[in-house]
Amino acid sequence: MDLQNMNPSSLKSRFATRFLRALTKINAQKPISSSSSREIFQRYRRIKVAADKSMAYSVRSRRSWSRATLWRLRTRSPRSRLATLARRSSVKTRTTRAASHGATVVDRKSHGKENKEDGGVEAEELRELVPGGEAMDLCNLLDETAHYIKCLTTQVQVMRTIANLYSLH
Amino acid sequence: MNRALPEMLPCSDMTVLQRQRARLKWQAEQFQQQSYFCELSGVFTSQNVHVQGFQQGGLVSGCGGGDSVLSNMEMTRQLKPDPGLEAAWPELGKVDMGFGSCGYGNGPSFDMNHAISRTSSCPPAVAAAAVEVKGNAEKMGSAVGRESFKKRKVEKLQNSKVVAEDESKRIKASEEEEEESKITGPNTNKITNHKKENSGDTSKDNSKVSEVQKPDYIHVRARRGQATDSHSLAERVRREKISERMKYLQDLVPGCNKITGKAGMLDEIINYVQSLQRQVEFLSMKLATVNPRLDFNIDNLYAKEEFPSCTTNFPTVGMAPEMANHSPYLQFNPIQQVVSGCGVEMGMGMGMNSSDMALRRTISAPVSIPDASFLNTTCFTGPQQQIQPSAPWEVELQNLYNVAFTDTIEESDLKMEM
Repeated sequence: MDLQNMNPSSLKSRFATRFLRALTKINAQKPISSSSSREIFQRYRRIKVAADKSMAYSVRSRRSWSRATLWRLRTRSPRSRLATLARRSSVKTRTTRAASHGATVVDRKSHGKENKEDGGVEAEELRELVPGGEAMDLCNLLDETAHYIKCLTTQVQVMRTIANLYSLH
Repeated sequence: MNRALPEMLPCSDMTVLQRQRARLKWQAEQFQQQSYFCELSGVFTSQNVHVQGFQQGGLVSGCGGGDSVLSNMEMTRQLKPDPGLEAAWPELGKVDMGFGSCGYGNGPSFDMNHAISRTSSCPPAVAAAAVEVKGNAEKMGSAVGRESFKKRKVEKLQNSKVVAEDESKRIKASEEEEEESKITGPNTNKITNHKKENSGDTSKDNSKVSEVQKPDYIHVRARRGQATDSHSLAERVRREKISERMKYLQDLVPGCNKITGKAGMLDEIINYVQSLQRQVEFLSMKLATVNPRLDFNIDNLYAKEEFPSCTTNFPTVGMAPEMANHSPYLQFNPIQQVVSGCGVEMGMGMGMNSSDMALRRTISAPVSIPDASFLNTTCFTGPQQQIQPSAPWEVELQNLYNVAFTDTIEESDLKMEM
C-alpha cells in the first residue's frame, strides 16, 4: 500500500505524463462546449494520435513497433504518397537487412510461404495488427507482440482513469 | 540439483589447459577407461589412482588444477542439495563395485562401458551424478567444449556409454559454458556426446534441448532420434524460442490457459490485440466528448488543506498487481497517483497528507502540479464504480481539478515532448 514505491520512470508514468500534457494541449486549443460532431471527431482523431504518440515516445526506439508507429505518425497526411513509397522502400531495406544479418531462417521466411508456414495466416494477421510487424520473422514478431500488448494495457488503464476523471463532472 | 554444482564452481583457463592435456593423454591410452571408472569409484573410496591428471575436470570442475579425489569428494559432499541424490550415492557405489569386479584390468573398454551402463540402472539422479563424474572427466580438457555439442557427431563415443549420460552432458553443457570460455575451434575429438543413447532410464527431464546462451555458440542438445544437421538444429532452436515466447504471451493474454496449439493461441492473441486497440479508440472518443470544467481557481489549490479521509474500495479492473499498492500519501511525483488511481484498493487518509501535498506543490516543478490534482481525484474516482463521491469531496475534487487545468493551461511553456 505504498505509492512511494511507484516507479516514477515506469512506462505507466511516462505515458501518463506525456498523454496528459498532450490532452491538455488539445483541450486548450478549442473550447469543448462548442463542439459539433465533426469537431468532436477531429478531437477524437487528435487524441488518438496523441495517445499513440505518447506511448511510442515513452518506449522510444527500443522496440520495433514503437519505431514503426513514430514513423507512421511522422509521415502521415502531409506527404502521404511520398511517405508511403518511402516507407515501403524502408520496409524492404529492413527486410533485406534482417535477412542478411539474421539466420538463414529469416531468408527462407521472407521468400514467402513456399517453404515454411511461418505461423501461417494468423501470423500475417498479427503482422498487420502490430505496427512494424511486416518485416519480422515469427520469433521477433511474438516478442514485439508481447511488449505491444503490455504497452496497450498500460495505455488503456491510464486513459480509462483519465476518462473517469473527466466524467466526474 | 546437479545444477548447483556448476554454479558454485569457478572456472579457470588453467584447468582447461590441464584438462586438455589430460584429455590427450587420455585419448592416447586405453587406460582412460580405467581411470575413468577410477574417478567414479574415487568419489566414494577416495582412491587417488591414476586420477590426478583427470581430476581436474572432475566433479568439481573448475576447482582448479590438481584437485585430489578427496577434495573432489569433499566438494561433492558439500554440494549435495538433493537428498535423493544423497540416498543414491550408495547405489552409485554399487555401480562402482560392480565395475570394480571388472577390475581395473584391461578388459575392453566397451565391455567396461557396457558394464557401467548395465549396472547403472539406477534413478536418474544417481545416474546423472555418476555420469557427471564421468562426463566431467570426459569433458575436461576437451576442446570439444561447445563445438562438440554443435557438431553433432554421429560417431559413437567409445569411452562412455553410460546411461543417462545425456543428462549429465546437458548439465555439463552449462558447466562447460561457464568454464571454458576460451575454448573454441573445431574439435576433432573423438570423444563426443552421444545424441542417441539411453537404453533404460531416460529421465523425464531429458526431454528438452539445453540452450546455453553464449556470445559465440548456442549449444543445443538433440533428442533421441532426431536429426542433427545444422539446419535442423537451427530449426529446433528457433522452435524452442517460439514456444517460449508463446508461453509468455499465454501469461499476458487472459484466458489462454486452456488453449494449446499455435494457431489457437495466435487467434487469441490477435483477438486480444484487436480488443485493446478498440478500447484505446473508444477511450479516446470518450475523452474527446467529455468536457472538463474550466473555471480556474488557483488559490483553491493551496487553500485546500482539508480532505476528509475516505476509504474506498476500488475493485481491480484488470489492473496490474503493482497497482495494488496504494497509500494515502501523496508522492512527489503525482503522476504516480494517476497511475495508481488506475486500480485497486485505496485506503485514503488524505487529511494527513494535505499539508504535505501543499508543501510539495510549492516545491515541486510546475509540471507536476497539475498532475498532483489528479492524485486527489484519482484517489477517489479510480475505476468506474466510484462515481458518486461524497458531496464535500466532490466539491473539493472539482476545485482541485480545475486548478490543475488552470495551471496546465497557463503553463504555456510546457512543451509536449512530441
